[in-house]
Amino acid sequence: MIHAEELTRRFGDRTAVDALTLDAREGEILGLLGPNGAGKTTTVRMLACLLAPTSGRASVAGHDIREAAPQVRGSVGILTESPGFYKRLTLERNLRFFAELYGVPAPREAVQRYLKRLGLWERRAEAVATLSKGLRQRLALARALVHEPKVLFLDEPTSGLDPESARDVRQFIGELASERRTVLLCTHNLAEAEELCARIAVLRTRLLALDRPDELKRRMSGSRVAIGLRNPRSEFATALGLPFVRTAELVHDGLSVEVADPERDVPALVRRLVELGAEIRSVARDERTLEDVYLELVGGDDGAA
Amino acid sequence: MGRLRVLVAKEWEELRKIKMVLYGALFLPLLMGGLAGFMVWQGQGLPPEAQAALFNTALMYFLILPVMIPVTLAVYSIVGEKEQGTLEPLLATPLTDWEIFVGKALVAVLPAIGLTWAVFGLFLAAAHIILDGIPPGVLTLPWLLSIFVLSPLLAVFGVLVSMLISSRTSDPRAAYQFSGLAVVPTLIPLIVYSVQLTAVNFLLVILEGGILVLLDGLFLYLAVKLFRREEILTRWK
Repeated sequence: MIHAEELTRRFGDRTAVDALTLDAREGEILGLLGPNGAGKTTTVRMLACLLAPTSGRASVAGHDIREAAPQVRGSVGILTESPGFYKRLTLERNLRFFAELYGVPAPREAVQRYLKRLGLWERRAEAVATLSKGLRQRLALARALVHEPKVLFLDEPTSGLDPESARDVRQFIGELASERRTVLLCTHNLAEAEELCARIAVLRTRLLALDRPDELKRRMSGSRVAIGLRNPRSEFATALGLPFVRTAELVHDGLSVEVADPERDVPALVRRLVELGAEIRSVARDERTLEDVYLELVGGDDGAA
Repeated sequence: MGRLRVLVAKEWEELRKIKMVLYGALFLPLLMGGLAGFMVWQGQGLPPEAQAALFNTALMYFLILPVMIPVTLAVYSIVGEKEQGTLEPLLATPLTDWEIFVGKALVAVLPAIGLTWAVFGLFLAAAHIILDGIPPGVLTLPWLLSIFVLSPLLAVFGVLVSMLISSRTSDPRAAYQFSGLAVVPTLIPLIVYSVQLTAVNFLLVILEGGILVLLDGLFLYLAVKLFRREEILTRWK
């Protein structure tokens, strides 16, 4: 549904997005993570045909972004970072304006459907200026959906919202995937990305990683094993003397040991620790959080941006 | 055409909600029309030649109007989008760059021309009553060309200047002030007529019309260059 190949955008001497290759399938929520200035918004703008790429190619909803920009725009819904509305006009009028611009066959019915779905129907006749930020965000979602796009670009959809509004918006985004819509979700909220996204792309001008959240964590965790001890002592780490142990360090309640192959090596490791007098409380794969993974990826690529 | 109509209808609806912009646009025609009427009223009892001279001066009010009316409307239609953060959602729709530009321009040009002609009609009616008829030598071809050709050219000029300036500033006050410069070209014939160097004549009308066509063409070229999605997203303040 979204396919980008070597997509690049430069502004003068500065490269905002460098040779980005990614794809998103129908019904998939793909997270786009990255620090400020990483190129997330530029990527969305290129894919939504608001900016032309300097080089590379991409197609969205089956349309080439260079050759069929009007068709691309008609097939995508976009929620910008700060969703602007005509504040003096009513909620209903704002949505009807966009529905009509997108050529929705029955704009009034479409507006009614989405205002009801997002719990805004009762306030349809009020000016947008009277809405709270959370309600505006819901209205922005309604606007992004009113023409029934197959692809959605959501830029920081829960940014600045209170926890309850953020939860409602997240719940709604989750429903979109079940409607077979493809969502490209730009966010700084790692928990949100982990909860909603089938896959996550970490971007810092260039693509640093693209995978499922669990796979990213597993890959970055490598073959590290966390051993919980009742009697944690630094000698256990230094006296292991096993050929497959790459590194071992004392952490606050046990050891973190990197081995060659956890499946094969953990039994021997446990035996050796027992021999050394360790009282083992637990043994588990030392899984990183998505935040660890993200920080490691982004931190390890300082020179890229 | 459908999308253009949708855009213009929305712009109108929005402008109608902003009383300052609406009253500002309506106040000027009433003021200028009133001044022109007052000038003619002073001509009661004067010989027809003197009345015609007053008409010549009064005409200039109707050449200032089409430039001044659209400034407020054009400035708001651009600065308003910036202030409300609606440019990006608007650019994400299937509207073409040209449709956005024409839609924004029409919202300011059409009322300017319509109001100018309407106030001119009222002025003629009032003059007819005050002076018991229109003096001979007034509603000549240069006069009619001034009202029906120069006015639209001036309105387009005012709108283009205002749109160009508004695209470069997010401060409406600065935009209004700089856009006021658009009135300058209309002041030249005003000075010529008001000091009675010459009456409204064909040569002057053609000369001013020619200059306006050139200026409109130049500003249209610049405005079209400015109304590109990339330009709007990356360069507009």
